[in-house]
Amino acid sequence: MTKALVDLHDVELAALAAAGGRREFGELVRRHSSAVRGLLRRMGAQPSEADDVAQDAFLTAFQRCSEFRGEGTFAAWVKRIAARLYLKRKSKDSRYVAEIESQEAAPSIDTPGLVDLDEALKVLSETERLCVSLCHGAGLSHPEIAAAMNLPLGTVKSHVKRGLDKLRARLRPEPQQYGKAGHVG
Amino acid sequence: MGRLAMSADEFDPFVERMFARTPALPDAEAFSARLEARLDSGTRVRTLALSVAGLVGGAVAVREILSLRLDLAAPDGPVAGRAVGEGIQTLTLGAQSAIQSGADHLGLANWSLGSMGGMQLFWLSAATMIALATAAVMKLSQES
Repeated sequence: MTKALVDLHDVELAALAAAGGRREFGELVRRHSSAVRGLLRRMGAQPSEADDVAQDAFLTAFQRCSEFRGEGTFAAWVKRIAARLYLKRKSKDSRYVAEIESQEAAPSIDTPGLVDLDEALKVLSETERLCVSLCHGAGLSHPEIAAAMNLPLGTVKSHVKRGLDKLRARLRPEPQQYGKAGHVG
Repeated sequence: MGRLAMSADEFDPFVERMFARTPALPDAEAFSARLEARLDSGTRVRTLALSVAGLVGGAVAVREILSLRLDLAAPDGPVAGRAVGEGIQTLTLGAQSAIQSGADHLGLANWSLGSMGGMQLFWLSAATMIALATAAVMKLSQES
């Protein structure tokens, strides 16, 4: 008996999509597009830009679907594609290069007690925000981030640490979620 | 309200869980529809490009074959020319018998291909093969 699309696991859908199944790929898009778009916005992309990059990421994922082996989650795989596409786009932006070179200081906003990650990320500098999002949102390792951003490994580690310190100063866990596993996107 | 102090070891997985929370975006359906339209558009462009390439390739192939001006009946032509001519004749006869047996199955036994000239049958076979090859390539491209 043929299973309905909603009953299929991501790995099954990806295998069918790799064989040209656009309906199956559409189901994957419906399941994970918000996670990918959300990550790009957290990396600092404007909503319209995040959507454009997410579209390109899913199109790339469709073309390369046969490369997805199911080692990680499908969402994580597309997030990595999207993050790299966004970095590629940013690297063409001269402002981004200038910002990295000058190690721009973070805007200082004193907002204690925030629990919203999106708000908390705004206090990070652009590079810190990118490094933290790539590390904890897209699942890239420090060396992978260094290679993708063309930065020394030590600089990436510093950005991640500084970014996390700033987030820690502003985020506090909600009592009901602290210690619980979150939704794996 | 006092804040809970978290060590770095506790904070890293906490941040990862926060990143893993999927935001609710109200236009998710519109995003999916736009992406599906782009996928469809890409397929249409690819199909069109392959069709044009097939037609151009077919036209070039026909033109090249016409320019050969083989005299299949000439017994004293060049050896290579004779070999090609004999090959075409063999193919033509094979195609003729295959088509005739197919016609017999369909109750068209009285439809005689033998009345067609060798070259006519050759062009008919060539056109059929080009059409079949183009259809196969288009089908494969749609499935890939």
